[in-house]
Amino acid sequence: MTGIWIIARMSLLENSRKQVFHVMCLLMLAVIASSTMLSIFTEGVQIKILKDLCMTCILFGGAALAIALGATGVPNDVESRTIHPLMARPLTRVQYLIGKFLGTFITVSLGVGAMAIAFGGLILMYQHSIDSSLGMAVLFTLLEVAIIAAIATMISTFASPAVTTVLTFMIYLAGTIKIGYIGGLIEKSQAGLSKALYLLIYHALPNLECFNLKSSLIHNDVIPGAYLGQVAFYGVCYIVFALAAGSLYFASREV
Amino acid sequence: MNHPIQTENLRKVYNLGRRKGTRIAVDALNITVPDGVVFGFLGPNGAGKTTTIKMLLDFVRPTAGLATIFGSPTTSASTRKLIGYLPEQPYFHKFLRPIEVVSMHASLAGVPRQEIKKQSLAVLERAGIAEYADTPIAKLSKGLTQRVGLAQAIVGDPRLLILDEPTSGLDPIGRRHARDLILQLKNEGKTVFLSSHLLSEVENTCDTVAVLKRGELVAYGTPDEVRAGDKQFSIWIDKLKIETRELLRFANVSIEEANSGTRITVSPEMLYYAMRILDKSGVKILRMQSERESLEEAFLRLAA
Repeated sequence: MTGIWIIARMSLLENSRKQVFHVMCLLMLAVIASSTMLSIFTEGVQIKILKDLCMTCILFGGAALAIALGATGVPNDVESRTIHPLMARPLTRVQYLIGKFLGTFITVSLGVGAMAIAFGGLILMYQHSIDSSLGMAVLFTLLEVAIIAAIATMISTFASPAVTTVLTFMIYLAGTIKIGYIGGLIEKSQAGLSKALYLLIYHALPNLECFNLKSSLIHNDVIPGAYLGQVAFYGVCYIVFALAAGSLYFASREV
Repeated sequence: MNHPIQTENLRKVYNLGRRKGTRIAVDALNITVPDGVVFGFLGPNGAGKTTTIKMLLDFVRPTAGLATIFGSPTTSASTRKLIGYLPEQPYFHKFLRPIEVVSMHASLAGVPRQEIKKQSLAVLERAGIAEYADTPIAKLSKGLTQRVGLAQAIVGDPRLLILDEPTSGLDPIGRRHARDLILQLKNEGKTVFLSSHLLSEVENTCDTVAVLKRGELVAYGTPDEVRAGDKQFSIWIDKLKIETRELLRFANVSIEEANSGTRITVSPEMLYYAMRILDKSGVKILRMQSERESLEEAFLRLAA
């Protein structure tokens, strides 16, 4: 565990110094702050738009950070050879990869945390109280972002940062539309190779839409605890799966 | 007995793609590094030295053969507890300070938490970089970064040190310091596996050397064994009388006339006899030198 935390700390220090982290956090905070200019709407509508805009910002900013940081961590270390003195220590490749993922995730969490605090502050300002589901919605957004970071980390073990960014973004998009679009394709397609292919893609892709609790937050819907538990379990399993697949390849590659 | 490093028919072939085929980086390498020695690993650029080191540290996997560290396969992470490694050009995260780099490596090496700071400062002092302990790596020169590399390699008291070009980027004072440090480590019972291009340093520090050429081992043994030819001495004198010349013939010497004087070449066995003749004849000796092949000459002969 010591090795994992040392790499995670190193990754956190490295990521938190990156320009992309500062720019993205500032940009998203600016967008959240600009939502105070929605005073033309009636109070109820204004709060709904505020929640919608802020949650979209948190998700988009977190996902962008997870892709940008997750895609560069491992390849940069390999390219700059900073990995060599580390791997000469009693540290396994799996520990290194998990450490890099954790470092990325903690950095992204700091950014998401800052955005969530700004969002909570605005809600408090307009609504004079904070919805209990707000914390849950942010937490599940964070879980979604963790999945994206795990996918980026996995792909970065064999691809360049540019390719990783594109592939992770495509998986993120496909994971968001999977139920509606790919689910529809499966229903329409005849039995055979194409259906098997769609099924394979459908099951391999993460179902990111289930982590989106934005509409429940906006409409103040109550989500059953069992459902949340299942979604959280699914998310953790997907992260473990992605990191295991990445570790499997990374353990055998040359650094 | 478990030697610090042992390789058996170690081979690494790089696949360069369909058009370029393959390149043999290391071929049938058999070396044994005994405990407590300084082992010089020599070879021209592209000879396979760094590839061998990478295989020893499991950065790359051998195509065939076996390498062991203290009897354990190189793939075992726990084996690396016993190793300190200095890369050819040490790269560290630029935002870190030397004390942070060394502390991190101390922690990874398993140094107890309460000991980390003390040990880190001690190795920085030993590597001659204690005064820069809090300066960011980005602001250090290449030579100072190399010293940070040396400090992180020796932290945690490893039994085996793998040093890839340890004096690269160091000034003459730094080189002397690094050489002294290597000899100190040897005296402490550590095994040092040293890859270097600076042959005079290798000659002065190494007990055993191995010379690689295009991935193949072309020489292996003590520096004396690697050097070719018998040792001879040259004696430069001013003038040589005919009768002295006749006497010297019995000493089986060769005599050459040169602009700067006469050169007498004699074997170590006949040196005493020749010197006595010259002394009795009252010949003025200008200078005397050993004529044995240097390690650099041996290297050029073997690896060129």
